[in-house]
Amino acid sequence: MKTPSEDHDLIRFLDGEMSDAERASFEARMAADPMLNSEVTMMQRMSADLRTHLPAEMPVPYADFFNSQIQVRIAQEEPVTLPAARSSWLDWLRIPTLITAAAAVAIGGFMILQKQNQPANNSVVHSIYVPNPAVQARSFHSAEAQATVLILDGVEAMPADRKIVGFHVERTESDQEVATTTLFGESGQILAVVAKDARNQPRLLSANPRG
Amino acid sequence: MPASTAPESGEVSDSDLVKRCQAGDTRAFDVLVNRYRGKVYAMTYHMIQNETEAWDLAQEAFIKAWRAMPNFKLDSAFYTWLYRITHNVTYDWLRKKKIQGDGEFDDSHTDHRVAAGAEAVARHEPAPDTALKNAELGARIHEAIAKLSPDHKQVILLREVEGMAYEEIAEIIPCTLGTVMSRLFYARKKLQEMLKDTYENAL
Repeated sequence: MKTPSEDHDLIRFLDGEMSDAERASFEARMAADPMLNSEVTMMQRMSADLRTHLPAEMPVPYADFFNSQIQVRIAQEEPVTLPAARSSWLDWLRIPTLITAAAAVAIGGFMILQKQNQPANNSVVHSIYVPNPAVQARSFHSAEAQATVLILDGVEAMPADRKIVGFHVERTESDQEVATTTLFGESGQILAVVAKDARNQPRLLSANPRG
Repeated sequence: MPASTAPESGEVSDSDLVKRCQAGDTRAFDVLVNRYRGKVYAMTYHMIQNETEAWDLAQEAFIKAWRAMPNFKLDSAFYTWLYRITHNVTYDWLRKKKIQGDGEFDDSHTDHRVAAGAEAVARHEPAPDTALKNAELGARIHEAIAKLSPDHKQVILLREVEGMAYEEIAEIIPCTLGTVMSRLFYARKKLQEMLKDTYENAL
């Protein structure tokens, strides 16, 4: 009967984990023991077949969806961290449900701005991303106001002492390398920086409408 | 290590991507997912041999990796660390299945198909003898692997499929080198027994 050490020798030989001296010694044993030699041969063939039939890498079905689902779950779990309050217009964003609204507004604005660089009289909203499914968003162009209006249904009432301030975006710049778009105001100040995540959804990185 | 996917020239290294992830960069994590999803999915698929469940488990492994990212000290290769997480996720799943009484080695979860990427012959097409034998062997190997205990299955996959060294396997499981060798020995003996006629006829 073989000892555990002999079993380990067989395994280590098969896996190439022996030193040169150990290998030479084991090969001498194999030469003197036809049964051991036969067992080694069989296990080597089996190992080769395992490697052939069990690929180390497999194509993931619906790979894009696989990635996007991961990003969605990460986004759902991610705590929203905002800069310390300094009596800015972002104060009301402390209320979680309102963050959704703000994000929707900002993101909707981002989508509009994507088209504002084009030579068109009216901006066109191609899509609006609302992180909170309870909130419904729609938009239309108001000729009277000469503006695109975003309407958000399902948002909790905002505190009366809070104001939502619109801001005028003069131009945008996209940085392909870091995949961000920067929104500039009339005097060239940075209003906001927006990025798209892996599932191609916009994400507000920072906002500073007062410049 | 043979199992790790070293970034090709010009690609961002795993450690740089990890640091970006730790700073909250989800796009950096997406790059890591792209880089390792095929390997993680292959591992979960071979362990449970069910496409849908393997897909979910692979995704769960990545989610857990993201959650644990702030605590990852880069004291091992990202891939080894990710595999440890995948191993734990898969084990938890197998344990839950056992508790639920589904049967740890329930054949209903083993469709005995030749895995994607393996050589296979379409069922209704005429095939040369060699290709047919190859496909049959592939199916038998999958069947035999499915019958191994999770412990034995894991070491065989890490060694034969991933080509990991004993130390790496011991780190992932985690266990001693002696345990790795013992499990490898008994796993191979069991496979040998199950595939005995295949190899005895061939020899």
